[in-house]
Amino acid sequence: MSSIITDMDLATTQLILPELLLLGGIIAMILVPNLGDATMRIPLTRVRIPILIGGTRFASINNPKLPNQIATTVLALAFLTSFLFLGEHGEVGNSLQVDEFSRLFTLLFTAALFLASVATTARLPARPRASVPLDTDSTTHSDAKVNALIDNRRQVDFHILLLTTGLGMSLMAMATNLFMLFVCLELASLSSYILVAFHKETDVGGEAGMKYFIVGSVVSAVGIYGMSLLYLWNGSLDMANLAASWKGMEVIDPFAAIGVGLMLVAFGFKVGAAPFHLAVPDAYAGASSPIAGVLATASKAMGFVALMRLLLVVTMPSAGQASWLLVLALVAVVTMTWGNLAALTSDNPKRVLAYSSVAHAGYMLAALAAIGSGLADSDTSALIATAVVFHLCVLVLFKMGAFLVLSMLEAEGRGHRMEDLHGLARRDPVIATSMFVFMLSLAGVPPLSGFLSKLLMINGIVNVSAGTGSASAATALSWAQGVDPVFWLAIAIVLNSALSLFYYLRIGLVMFFESPDTENPLVHSPSLKMAIIACAVLTLLFGIGPLSDSLLDMVGSAVDSFMRS
Amino acid sequence: MSDTKNEWELLVPIIPFLLVAPSLKFLAGWESVEAAFLIVVVPLLIFPAILVLGQLYNGNETWKNRYKEGGIFALGSLALSLSIAIWILYDYIVGSAHFEAHSVVDPFSWLTFDVIEQTGAQWEVSTGFTDIGVGVWIDSVTLMLLFVATFLCFLICWFSLGYMNTDKINEDSNHRFYGEFVLFAIGMFGMVLADNFLWLFIFWEIMGLCSYLLIGFYYWKDSAAYAAKKAFLTTRVGDVFLMVGLLILYDIYGSLDFAVIFDDPSTGVGGMMVESSELFWALLMLFIGAVGKSAQFPLHVWLPDAMEGPTPVSALIHAATMVNAGLYLVVRMVPFVDIHVNGVAGLENFALIVAWIGGITAFMAAAIAFVQNDIKKVLAYSTMSQLAYIFTGLGAGLLFLNIGEHHAGYFVIGASMFHLFNHAMAKGMLFMASGSVIHEVHHAHDHVRELSDKYSTNEGDDHGDFDPQDMRIMGGLAARMPVTATAMMLGSMSIIGIPLIGGFWSKEGIIAETWAACLHEEPLMFVPALLVLATAGMTGFYMTRMWLMTFAGPPKSEIVGHVHEATPWIKEPLIILSVITALGGFALALFGAVEYLGDPEYDHLSFHGILYTLEHAFLPEDTNLRLVGWTTILIAMVIGPVMASRIHGGRLIDGVEASPLVSWLVDLSSRFGSQDVSELADSQLAEALQRRLYFDDLYEITLAKTAIPLAGLSAWFDKNVIDGVIKQIESNSASGSVQVRRITTGSARDYILMAAVGMLSIFALLWGVSA
Repeated sequence: MSSIITDMDLATTQLILPELLLLGGIIAMILVPNLGDATMRIPLTRVRIPILIGGTRFASINNPKLPNQIATTVLALAFLTSFLFLGEHGEVGNSLQVDEFSRLFTLLFTAALFLASVATTARLPARPRASVPLDTDSTTHSDAKVNALIDNRRQVDFHILLLTTGLGMSLMAMATNLFMLFVCLELASLSSYILVAFHKETDVGGEAGMKYFIVGSVVSAVGIYGMSLLYLWNGSLDMANLAASWKGMEVIDPFAAIGVGLMLVAFGFKVGAAPFHLAVPDAYAGASSPIAGVLATASKAMGFVALMRLLLVVTMPSAGQASWLLVLALVAVVTMTWGNLAALTSDNPKRVLAYSSVAHAGYMLAALAAIGSGLADSDTSALIATAVVFHLCVLVLFKMGAFLVLSMLEAEGRGHRMEDLHGLARRDPVIATSMFVFMLSLAGVPPLSGFLSKLLMINGIVNVSAGTGSASAATALSWAQGVDPVFWLAIAIVLNSALSLFYYLRIGLVMFFESPDTENPLVHSPSLKMAIIACAVLTLLFGIGPLSDSLLDMVGSAVDSFMRS
Repeated sequence: MSDTKNEWELLVPIIPFLLVAPSLKFLAGWESVEAAFLIVVVPLLIFPAILVLGQLYNGNETWKNRYKEGGIFALGSLALSLSIAIWILYDYIVGSAHFEAHSVVDPFSWLTFDVIEQTGAQWEVSTGFTDIGVGVWIDSVTLMLLFVATFLCFLICWFSLGYMNTDKINEDSNHRFYGEFVLFAIGMFGMVLADNFLWLFIFWEIMGLCSYLLIGFYYWKDSAAYAAKKAFLTTRVGDVFLMVGLLILYDIYGSLDFAVIFDDPSTGVGGMMVESSELFWALLMLFIGAVGKSAQFPLHVWLPDAMEGPTPVSALIHAATMVNAGLYLVVRMVPFVDIHVNGVAGLENFALIVAWIGGITAFMAAAIAFVQNDIKKVLAYSTMSQLAYIFTGLGAGLLFLNIGEHHAGYFVIGASMFHLFNHAMAKGMLFMASGSVIHEVHHAHDHVRELSDKYSTNEGDDHGDFDPQDMRIMGGLAARMPVTATAMMLGSMSIIGIPLIGGFWSKEGIIAETWAACLHEEPLMFVPALLVLATAGMTGFYMTRMWLMTFAGPPKSEIVGHVHEATPWIKEPLIILSVITALGGFALALFGAVEYLGDPEYDHLSFHGILYTLEHAFLPEDTNLRLVGWTTILIAMVIGPVMASRIHGGRLIDGVEASPLVSWLVDLSSRFGSQDVSELADSQLAEALQRRLYFDDLYEITLAKTAIPLAGLSAWFDKNVIDGVIKQIESNSASGSVQVRRITTGSARDYILMAAVGMLSIFALLWGVSA
C-alpha cells in the first residue's frame, strides 16, 4: 500500500479524484460538525491557541442539515469529476486500475447515492428548529420532539455511511486484484448493512438489518474461503495472472473450480441471485426507501462488476464453452422465475420492487450466460456485455426513481402496503405519472429505456444462439430441437416479462383507479420531486432518441476497455 | 347557464391556439404545407390530455366551469386545425407556387421491413425492402374535405359547449365526450391528409372506433349500446372488404402510396400493364368499404340508429366526418378510371354499380323519410339520400371519364364534390338546429314537470316515456325559437334545392349530367337517373313536412309554450352556418366551384365563369337537359312542398309573431287546403316504410340463423379453451407464487440453509461439467 502514497503525483490524483473527494467528504463530515471555539493553553505559558475542535460549536455549522449538504455536494462533485475525466486511464498502485469501465461505474454509484441523499431530506429530515420537549407537552408531542432531536443527531452517521458505501463501491470497480476487490466490496457491504438497520427504533428495520448482516457475513466468509482456495491453486490473486493460469489449464483443477464456485455464491448474494436472494426482500422492506434504492441499483451493479470480473476476465476460456455456463444459466432461469412469481402476490410495494429487482438480476445473468456459451464472437460478446451494463445504468433511473416515490410516501409513515399507493394520481398526478413511467420501464415497455436494455439483452442472446438452429428445418418444431439451449434463455426472459407485467401494471392500476384513503398532499419536498421528475424524463430520453445513443456509445466504449483488460 | 358575458371570457384560452398558424408563417417562415401535419398532431396531443385531466379533476369547479370539462381544450385544438386548413386553402386559391396538381410533404419512414423470400430450400432476405412512411398529400379534393371537416368540427365543438355542458345527464362525463370527439376529428383529418392507402385505412378505422364510442355515449341505455354495436359491426363489414381491396391494390402496384399508384395507374409493379378485370375487383372492394362508411344500400341500416348518440355526435357523423369518408374514397378512385390521363379502360361496369347503388339508396331513403316522426331520424334518412345523390353523380362521372368524355366527367365530379360541401354545411346546421329544438323542448319538459310536481301529489307519475325528439308534440315552435326556425328553414331549402340557395347548384348539376349520361352514352343509366329525379321531389316533400311539423301550425302539446331559446353557445354556430348555407353556395357556384373541384386543369376565376354557370344551370343547350332541369325545379320546389303543406301546413295560433320570412312561409303553407292522409298512413306501404322496408328485420333474421350460433360456438371455445388455459396459467402462477413465498420463511437460519443448498448444487454442477 505504501506505493500508492509514495507514488502520489498530480496525474494519479487526477485519476482517482472522485475517490479522493469521497474520502475528503468523509473526513469533513467528521470534522465540520465538531468545529468549535475550543482553545488549548500551550503548556507553561498563558497563551491559549484555538484548536477548533470541541468547545462551543460555531453557530454557522451548528445546523443539522449540514451533513446532508456535504454529502450531496461531495457526491455531485464526484459524479461531475468522474464524468469529466471519463477518458483517463492508468494504474494506481499495484491493484487498482482506472479505465472507462470503472469510471462509468463510479458515475453510476455516485448518481444512485446522490439520489438517495436527496431523498433522505424527506425520509430522515433534519429539523433546524427542533427543541427540547417541555414538561407541559403531551406524550405524543414530546415523543415527536425527541424523535426530531434524535434524527438531527444521527444525520452525520447516516451520511458518513453513505459516503463510505460510495467509496467502497467506486474502489471496487477499479480493483484488478481479487483481494482488493473483496476488501472494497466488504467496505461497501458493511456500510450498507448498517444503513439497512439504521432505523433501529422500528422492529422491522433492526430485524432486516440483522438478517441481512448474518446471511451476508456467512456468504462473505464462503467467498473468502473460495478466494483462499484460488490462492492455494495459483499463488497470486491478480486477475490477469489468474486468467492466464485458467486458460493454461488442460483439465480443470478441483481447487480452482471449487474456489470459483464459492466466490460465485458470494457474488450471487450481492446481485440477489436465487437461492441466495432470500434475505434481499427482507432487507429492502426493512430499510428506508432511499437505502433500498441504493441496494437495488448501486449495490447490485457492484455485484455485477465483481461477477463480470470473475466470469468474463478470470474464468472465460479463449474458445468454447465456459465451465460455469450451465450453473449460470440455471441460476438465471430460477432467479427470474422465482423473483417474478414471488412478486406476483406480494402486497408490500417495497417487496414487489425487491422481487422485481431479483427478476432483473435473472435477466442479466441470462445475458452473461449467453457470453459464456462460447458461441459469440468478440463483437457479439461486447454487445451483450454492453446491454447488461446499459441495463445497470438505466436501472438507476427507474428503479431508484420508484424507490424515491416510495420514500415520499414513507415520509408520512406509509408505503408498506399496496393500499398506500391507492389513488396516488388523485393526490399528486405528476408523481403518479412518473411512478407509472418507472413501472412501464421496469416491465420493458417501449419506448422507455427499460425496453431498450431488455431488447438488447434478448437480441444478444438470440443473435448468438438462433443461428445454431438448422436453416433448412422444415417446421418450427424441428428447428427448435436443433437450436442451442441458450436460445431458451431468451424465451424464458420473454415469458417472465409477460408474467411480470401483471404486478407492474397493478401498481399503475391502483394509483389511477382506486380512491385514496387520504386527500392530503404529499410531503413537500421540491428537490425530491424534481429528482423524481428528472428520473422519469431521463427514463424516456435514454430509451429513444439521441441521448440513448450517446449513452449506448459511452457504455460501449467502457465495455471495450473492460474486454481489452 | 350563468351570465353570457362571462361565458365569452372562457374563450380566451383559444387565442394562443389561433396564434400558432400566423406565428409559424410570419415568425418561423414556414410554408403552409409544412404545417399541415399539425392539423393531426396537435389534436392528437390534446385528446389524451383531456381524458387524463378529466379523470383527475372530475367534479372540480374550475374544471367544470372554466374549462368546460375539457371542451375548451378541444375547441382550441380544433381552432388550430381550422386555422391551418384555412391557411393552406388561402395559399392554394391565390395560387402560391407550392401547389401544382397536388403537393406531398416528404414522408418520414415509419416501418421498414425486410422481405423474406423462399429460394429453393432456404429462406433468404431479399435485396429489396419495403418501407411504409407517413406523409401528407394535398390536392383540391383534400382541401375541400379538409376545410369542411375542420370547419364543421370546430363549429360542432362550439355548439357542444352549450349543448352538452348544460345537461345534467352528462355531468362529469363530458371529458369522455370531448376526448372522443377530438379523436374522431383526428381520424377524419388524418384520413383526408394521408398520402397512402394504408394510413387512410388506419384513420378510417379510428373513425369507426370513435363512432362506436360516441354513439354509445349513453352506454347504460340499451338502445344506445345496441345502436353503437350495430354501427360498428355494419361498418366493419365494409371495412373487411376495404382491406381486401387494399391487398389487391398492393398486389397490382406493389405499393399503397398515392405517389406511386397515381403516377401511372395503368402500369403495375414491374412495368406490367394493369388488367382492368383485376382492378375492377380492387375498386369494387374499396367501394363496398365506402358503402359501409357512407351508409348506402345495402349497408345503410346503422345510420338511423346512430341517432342514439348525443346530437352533436349526429352532426359530426352526418355532416363533418364519417359519411364523407366513403365519398372521399370514391373520389380518390378518379385517377384509376380517367383514361384521359393514364387511367385503365374497361371499368364502365364499376361506374354503373356506383351510380345504381346511389340511385337506389336515394329513392329508398327518401321514401322511408316520409313516415318518420322523430326529427333526427328524418334528417338521418335525408343524409343517406343526399349522399346517394353524390354517389350517383360520382358514378356518372366515373362513367364519363372511363369512356373518354373527360369534360363532362370532371364537371359532374366537381358537382358531386360541391354537393358534398353544400350538404355538409346544410346538414351540420340542420342537426345543430334540431339539437337546439330537442334541448329546449327537453328543458321545457323538465320545467313543466317541476311545475306539475309542485302542484300535484301524484308522485308515481314519472315522465320516462317522454321523447323530446318526437315531432308530434311540437308544432308552432316558429314563434318560440326564431333563430332556430330560420336556420332550419335555410338548411331545408338548401337540401331541397330551392333555386339560388346552396344545394340547388350542385344537385342540378348531378341530375342533369346523370340524364346526359343516360341519354347520350349508356342506357343502363336510366334507372339511377329516373330515381334521382323522383327523389328531388320527395326531398321537397319530406323536408317541408319536417319543418312544418316542428315549426308551423298550432302547438301540439303544452310543453311548446315553455320553450325558450335560452342556452348560450348554441345560437352562434347556427347563425354562422345559416349565412354560409344561404349565400356560400351561390357565391361559390358563381365563382366556378364545380369546375374548380373537378377539373385538375381548370385554373381561372373570371366573370365569364359566372355567366357560364348561370347559363349551364338554367338554359343548357341540350333541350332534353333543359327539360330535366326545369322538371327538377318544378317538382322539388313546388309539387313536393305543396303536398307536404296540404297535410301538415297551418297557421300559428293567433297573437304570436315569428320573423317575417318565416311567418310568410307559415301563412303560405296554410293556403293549399288540407288533406287527410290517415287512410294512407294505415296502409301496408306506410307500415313497410315504418319498418324501414324490413331490411333491419331481414338482417336480424339472417344473423340469428348464421352468425349468432357461430358466435356462440366461438364464445364457448373462448371461454372454455382459451380462457380456461389462461385462467389455469393465472391460478397456477398465483399458487406458485404462494409456494415460492412460503420458502421465504423470514428466518435467517433457513436463508443460510438455502444458500448452503445452492452452494452444493453449484459444486455438483461444476463438478459434472469438468468431470
